[in-house]
Amino acid sequence: MLSFIIRRLLILPLLLIAVTILIFSMLSMLTPYERASLYVQDIPKRQGAMEGIIKKYGLDEPVPVQYWRWMTGTKDEKTGKVEGGVLSGNLGWSKTGKGTVWEVIARRLPATAELALWTAIPMVGIGVYLGIVSAVNHNKLIDQVLRVFSIVGWSIPVFVFGLLVLMFFYAKLGWFPPGRLSDWAIQIVQSTGFIQYTKMYSIDALLNGRIDIFWDALRHLILPVLTLAYLDWAYLLRVTRSSMLDTLNQDYMTTARAKGLSENKVIMRHAVPNALIPVVTVGALMLIALLNGVVITETIFNIPGMGSFLAESALSLDVVSVLGVTMFNCLILLLGNLIVDIMYGIIDPRIRLQ
Amino acid sequence: MDVVRRLVKNPTSLIGIVLLLGFVVIAIAAPFIAPPEANSRNIYIIPRDGFSNQPKAPSELHPMGTTEGQYDILYGVVWGTRTAFRVGIVITLITTLIGLIVGSLAGFYGGWVDEVLMRITEVFLVFPFLLAAITLTSVLQTVYGRGEANFLVYLAKALAVITFFQSPTTDLDPIQIQILTGMLAIIVFGWMTYARVIRGNILTVKEQEYAVAAKLIGASDIRILFRHLLPNAVFPVVVLASMDIGSYVLTFAALSFLGLGAQRGYADWGQMISFARSWISSLGAYWYIVVYPGVAIILFVLAWNLVGDALRDLMDPRLRGRGND
Repeated sequence: MLSFIIRRLLILPLLLIAVTILIFSMLSMLTPYERASLYVQDIPKRQGAMEGIIKKYGLDEPVPVQYWRWMTGTKDEKTGKVEGGVLSGNLGWSKTGKGTVWEVIARRLPATAELALWTAIPMVGIGVYLGIVSAVNHNKLIDQVLRVFSIVGWSIPVFVFGLLVLMFFYAKLGWFPPGRLSDWAIQIVQSTGFIQYTKMYSIDALLNGRIDIFWDALRHLILPVLTLAYLDWAYLLRVTRSSMLDTLNQDYMTTARAKGLSENKVIMRHAVPNALIPVVTVGALMLIALLNGVVITETIFNIPGMGSFLAESALSLDVVSVLGVTMFNCLILLLGNLIVDIMYGIIDPRIRLQ
Repeated sequence: MDVVRRLVKNPTSLIGIVLLLGFVVIAIAAPFIAPPEANSRNIYIIPRDGFSNQPKAPSELHPMGTTEGQYDILYGVVWGTRTAFRVGIVITLITTLIGLIVGSLAGFYGGWVDEVLMRITEVFLVFPFLLAAITLTSVLQTVYGRGEANFLVYLAKALAVITFFQSPTTDLDPIQIQILTGMLAIIVFGWMTYARVIRGNILTVKEQEYAVAAKLIGASDIRILFRHLLPNAVFPVVVLASMDIGSYVLTFAALSFLGLGAQRGYADWGQMISFARSWISSLGAYWYIVVYPGVAIILFVLAWNLVGDALRDLMDPRLRGRGND
């Protein structure tokens, strides 16, 4: 078990380096002028000053040298000032966010994290539950209905669903507005009496004991969560269903029934734990789906998170920001994959013994 | 032919095929259903009836209404069918091809070739698909925006030949460049699944008796690959690819929706829905901006998903009960 984890942990930095190489190769497609935002905030208007910056940060040197600098940082010969590279978290300056890329990410991460948190539980819970129901009632009406629901769900683009849902629940009914909080709630949150522990409004509201703000945050979260979760319910349903179907056909199920166990026990204690093994690996895919879906969902519902930041930067061709966010996302993904792999190793003893 | 017969018998796949045929008919008949204006430069730019910023509800003149800027929605939906087919099919063909080549080489030669190719595949797989496509599209658009001639431009021109059926000598205009960058970005990050699947299948098939026998007789590598291994390993890829056409169209629509793929006014479903972004609070009144193109996308992707799903169901029993029916 330990060697399994160690092996995975060792590969992680290698993959990270490979990712940085890929990102840097995309960066090097840009001219030195365009890449200057990696290092300086204000692109000078005078031609001479620009060349000075290019020389100072070595923006015209051979690519491997630039890569090294980008990763490890630069030391200004005249002033002796050391500026960190990527390894110290310096991802450059973001035009769109008007701050360093790292600052902007830190600023916008809580909104995305809140959304992801509230989405994960209903998404996994309902998707898996419906998958189990569907498999247990194989080929009966409920199974057919859920299968159709799942295929149709998979065909609806996130933005169409989001817009339709907004149209119905907000434009027509006025129940659930876009954004994160209503104006009155924002004022309270930003006042001094309210302590923002996590910057996630719903959690902070609970921690501060303000139930009214909690409900307001929830009201704003319902539609984006619904949008993000809907597509993945469909996928989880299919995977759980096929995995359950495979499990239900196994011999040990017949044995369990022959022993005289109630059908409920047979399913819950024998079928489900075994069927959930492949579903756990899908957890990594769900993380990917979340990272993807979040871009469009945040854009439609006007949530200032990392997804909408990526969309805005991409649109204004602020490549430095785009690459910084992408790198951060890849880091999260690699870590998430690692956790899923370890969990998979814990749950399924056969994997560990390989 | 057995495959075709079984496809038609299954009710869900039948619906998928009927839908697909419907779209094909609309795509071919586009000039008749929504005739382009007589003197338009590019028939894929939706004609505008005036310049008012207020979308207009469906009427006799505009059966599906107009968006802001008075772009006719019916025209966009009908010609958008062509865009969807083009984009979807070209992307799928190229990604499948790349995946086939990489996967075959890795699976067939094994050893360090396999290791290197698979590590490269893994690195590309680390990037979440939509994010990667967005990233690369914005990078490429910056690069193309400079207007120099280089390797990337030749790549784009080659893509334009297949997508727009134009000769390689024609220059690309900015509208096409935006679409092509979106397609290129999706292609670069879309081939990995096929590579893995083909590699896995070839690894399995390689050990089969007929493959070993062929090698013993002294058949050349290429011959073994083409005549024995590939035909047996390819079908799963075909199934995957048919389901992925829908997802590539979705991704491209998402890019256009964000403003990165097709430009404003181009006949592309995702692009048309992006008009709705300015009217979120009054979406109840302007529902037609979202509903018509939205339904088009949903049905299109649904059709491909149903057909692909049925193909996959067909494949499973064949894998388990080899050649029983």
